[in-house]
Order: sequence, then C-alpha cells, then structure tokens
Amino acid sequence: MRQLTRFFVIALIGLSFLSNGVLAQDANEIMKKSHLSYFYAGDDGKSEVTMRLINSKGKERVREFTMLRLDKEDGGDQMYYTYFFKPSDVARMTFMVHKQADGNDLRWIYVPAVDLIKPISADDKNSSFVGSDFTYEDVSGRHYNEDDHKFVEESTLGDRAVYVIESTPKDEGYDGFARKLSYIDKENMLPLKEEYFNSKDELERVFLAEKVETIDDIPTVTVRSMENVKKGQKTIVEFNSIEYGVGVGEDIFTERYLKNPPRQFIR
Amino acid sequence: MKRIILLALLLIAADAHADLYWGGFLQGLYGGRLHEINPTETEYTASETRLQLRMEHFGDRGEMFGRLDFTYDGASDPEYDWELREAYVKFRLGSRFDFKIGRQILTWGTGDLVFINDVFAKDYKSFFVGRDDQYLKAPQDAIRMEFYSGIGSFTIVWTPKFAPNRLPGGERLSFYNPMVGAIVGTDGAMQPQRPESRFKNSEIATRFSRRIGNFTSALYFYRGFYKNPEGFDMSTGSPIYPRLHVYGASVRGPIAGGILWLEGGYFDSQDDKCGEDPFIPNSSISGLFGFERQVATNLTANIQWQVDYMTDYDVYEMQQMAGGGYVRDEVYHLLTSRVTKKLMDELLTLSGFVFYSPSDEDGYARGSVEYKYTDEIILAAGANIFGGDYEAGDFGQFKLNDNVWVKVTYGF
Repeated sequence: MRQLTRFFVIALIGLSFLSNGVLAQDANEIMKKSHLSYFYAGDDGKSEVTMRLINSKGKERVREFTMLRLDKEDGGDQMYYTYFFKPSDVARMTFMVHKQADGNDLRWIYVPAVDLIKPISADDKNSSFVGSDFTYEDVSGRHYNEDDHKFVEESTLGDRAVYVIESTPKDEGYDGFARKLSYIDKENMLPLKEEYFNSKDELERVFLAEKVETIDDIPTVTVRSMENVKKGQKTIVEFNSIEYGVGVGEDIFTERYLKNPPRQFIR
Repeated sequence: MKRIILLALLLIAADAHADLYWGGFLQGLYGGRLHEINPTETEYTASETRLQLRMEHFGDRGEMFGRLDFTYDGASDPEYDWELREAYVKFRLGSRFDFKIGRQILTWGTGDLVFINDVFAKDYKSFFVGRDDQYLKAPQDAIRMEFYSGIGSFTIVWTPKFAPNRLPGGERLSFYNPMVGAIVGTDGAMQPQRPESRFKNSEIATRFSRRIGNFTSALYFYRGFYKNPEGFDMSTGSPIYPRLHVYGASVRGPIAGGILWLEGGYFDSQDDKCGEDPFIPNSSISGLFGFERQVATNLTANIQWQVDYMTDYDVYEMQQMAGGGYVRDEVYHLLTSRVTKKLMDELLTLSGFVFYSPSDEDGYARGSVEYKYTDEIILAAGANIFGGDYEAGDFGQFKLNDNVWVKVTYGF
C-alpha cells in the first residue's frame, strides 16, 4: 500500500514537472507566434498612420506619417521607412531603420531643408519614438528571445479568449521593464493587451489593441494605444490604411530614397 | 537653365496624377547685442518677421518644389525683402539617373558644422544671429545628377555661377579686415570681387559614395574657388576668391554604440601652388575625426577634432611677419562638441555647441532652448558668444557680436 502511495506521489510530482515543462515551451511558442503575427505580418507593408499624443491635461498633439516595412526574414532583419506629413516642423522629413535582429539597429534621418542625412546613434531602444509613449523597441519589436516566458493561465479579455504570459528580461541590466504580462489572442495570436511593470513592480505602461481587423486575410491591429499610467498620458495610433504585399523593394531602404521619397507609395 | 526648368515644369504639370502640397511658417526673431560699443553701431543683431511659403507638386514623372521667404525688418534697408530659397525640379531618367535642377540647398560630408568636402555655400550671417538651422546653408543654382549602380553612387553638381559664402560684412556683424588690421563694422565693409560669369568659372563638385558593411565611404573632388574671399588683388584693391581644387575622402558608420566619422581633404590652391604669393592662401591638408553617442536617455553628445596643416608654411610665416600681420600656427587645431538634451517627451530641447581652437586660442559657443508649445507654435531662445585673444582669429574676430535672441514660430 505504502509503495503504491509513494508511486502515486512520485508520479504526481513527475507529472506536475512534466506539465510545467510543456507549458513553458508553449509560452515560448506562443510569444514567438505572437511576435511574428504582430511585427512580421505579410512580407512587406505600407501604413498611413495618425498618432495622437494626449498629455495628462488632455492636450492633444498629432503626428501623421506613412510607414513602409520590408521583412528580410521572418523573425529576423527588417527595414522601415517613414515619411512625416505633420506637424509642420517635421514635415517632409524621412526616417529609416535597418533592424538587425542580432545587434543594434541602424537609423538615419533626412532633413530636406538642409539636404542633410544624419545617422543616429541607436544605442537606447527605450527612447521615445517621435516623442510618443511608444519606444523604438515598441515600434520595431523586442525579440522574443530576449525574455524568459512563463505561462500564467488561459483567460478572456472582453469577448476574446486569451493566453496570459509573463515575461522577464534575460538581461538584468535592461531597464525598459522588469516584468511584462501579455494577453495573447488564442485565435490570431495577436497581443491584445500588455502590462509593463517597473523594478518596483508598479504598473508603468499599458498597451491595448483597441481595434483588430482582417486585411488581406491577415488579422491586424488597426488602432493601438500605449498609456503611461505613471505620467497619466496616452498615445493612440490609428492606421488609416494598411496594405500588405505592396512590392516594396529592398532598394527603397537606401540613401537614394531617404532623399527622394518613393512617390508610388507616399503621396 | 531657366528654359530647362520651364520645360520640365510643363512636362510635370501635364501629368494626370498630380498632387499639390502647401505649407510654411510665420516667424519673429529678435536679437540683442551684449556689447554696447561695437563698430557697427547697431543695437540689435536681428529684428525680423519672416513668412515662408513652401509648395510641393509631384506627379509620376517628376516633382517640383519651391520655397519662398518674405521678410520685414525695420532696421534693414530695404525694410521689405524676399528671397527664393529653393525652386527646383526633380526627375528620374531610366532607373539609374536622378536629376535635381534649379535653386537648391546642397549638403554632403560628415562633419557637424565643420566642413571639409562640403563645398556648398554657407550663410554665417544667419548662423550667428539665431536663424533656424536651415539658414546655415545658402542656396545654389545648380544641376545635380546622380548615377546609381551596384558598386556605388556617383554624384556631380554643376553650379554655373559661383556661389560664395555669405559672411558678416559689417552692417550688423563686425569682422576683421586684414587690410586695416582691426575689427571693423559698416565703415570697413569690403566688396569682394567675384569671378566673372563664364563657363570656366563654374563650380563642379563630385562625389563617389559606397556602403562598405555598416559604413558609408566617399571620395570627393571639387573644382572651383575658395568660398570665402581669402585672396586679395592688389591691382583692384579688393578681396577675391582664389581658384581651388579639393580632393577628399570620408568614412562614417556605427561603432562602440555610437557613430564615428573621419574625413580628410587636400586644398590645392590653384593660383599659388608654391605658396609664394602673400595675397593668395597656401594649399593645405585638413583632417577631421568625430564621434557621437547617446550618453543617457534623451541626452546625446559628440566631439570633433579637426587638424589643418598649411603647406609652404615657412614662406607664409616670413611674409606675415614682414607685413606685421597675424601669424597662425603651421598646424591649426579645432575642437568642437555638441550636447543635446530632450525633456518633457521631446517637447523641450536644450542644445549647445562649442568651437574651440587651442592654436588660435579663440572659440565660439552657441546654445538654444526650444519649446514646442503646440503642434503649430514653437518658442525658442538662445545665445551666440565669441571669444579670443587675437582679433584676426577665425572666431576671435567676431567677439564684438555676442548676442542673445528670442524666436517665435507658427507653422502651418
């Protein structure tokens, strides 16, 4: 009898270890699929974006730009090209990023009023993207391999079934966040909500996928927001038009087009 | 040139898929001097209201761009003025040739406010009184052609009529007149003699550029003139722009978490190859090292070190001492640094730039605070401070022009 009990106890303990291991792998797989579905949808993309920055007093600033993206490899190198329309002091400027999955990004800005191409030292991925609550890392994606992922539970967010995953950065020196809770849509693997906690485990930022639509058979977040809970401000990004597979060539992401915006995509 | 632009404009206008964009700004800039006693006898370094209108028109075949400034300055003569800052057409021939024809601003080279191979006209008058950064460059009427291939890109800029730098001439900013041997203002104004408008007096600037890994490298050649009136013609008694060839190279790219740049150039003084003419500058070799890095969140800083070596120095030294003029060192050093700090989610920008020459023992510091009050309104204030022991120094000569300024801009 005692042997049977011992066997059951060992088996139960063994099973629990096994199931945790399986779930940990699932967590990694879930985050990988989520990363690809959100940052690498389609082989290339064009989006016309309106970004609203709302400060704690409700004062609103608007940025309008068109962004082109080309994936060199799913989950790997990517290239971004941005042309600004508004506000007036950044109008006509272009901005380009060569995202290198293995190292630091390469970034350039072109100021047409002075015909100046300026490379930007891209050491800090946590610096804000054009003054918004989104950082460069938010825009171009933080690689899923940079964090340890743990499966928390299955839950619902509104009317969608979600996986809840907790992520902690592998690099202890990283100061973007200390802990992150992601709510991943079970069906399309898009992140519907993300909660960022700082080193004091205070909730600092909240990402929300406010609207999800299907474009070219690809589930896409067309309205997204990032709220900085501590500062009481929010950035809302609306994609007025998203197109996939527009045929953006690699040659677009060069100095030539930094100075001469490709008019077939940018009007 | 005008006929070509007109033809290109007609071709572009005939395009069915044409888009038109307007924009611009209204700006007030007021600057006060810190030295009451100065040779220009003016109180304000700037007192202008400026309206800039920008128009962009593009179709499938090409683009057209124009930028026009209207200014009102109560202390100026004439009070109302206008300047066509840019007016060009852009188009592509085949897949490899890009053209930009007309009045345009041109920039290349790697230096931050230090220019070796950037042989395009600068406007130091605007630079020293607080005008926007875009006014550091003066427009040139030119044809720019770029050819792209697998091995790299080749650019040639032909400026038929020589475009010199715009320098302080004594109306509001005093400067050093070597003929007089002192800092002068309105009285000491000189009218430099420009090269005659002839084909052989046109400027040709070329660049070959290529990416090598993460670095961009370039080779440059310029055939034209010194952009500052560094020569003197005894027969006419006026300063002149001596002939110049510049051969140069540069490389720039990311390293050690920042951006590194190196540039060099050989200034071949065509009218005085042996250095014997005391009124024409000697040939020189210039080298530049620069590094920029993000130091902390929203804080970026860079440093530069330029070295300029004068050839045939002993001849120069002898001539200067004989004439009782200022003798610079054989090797001229210039150190610079820029620090930029952004605050309040990039609404507030603090920026400072310092030039210091250990060899001339002079320097120039410029700083500004800029606040984006709304998407349309930007408030800014700043200062320009010059210092130096020698009145003939590149920066020391402007030491009576110290000023502070305020600026309000409404963009639309």
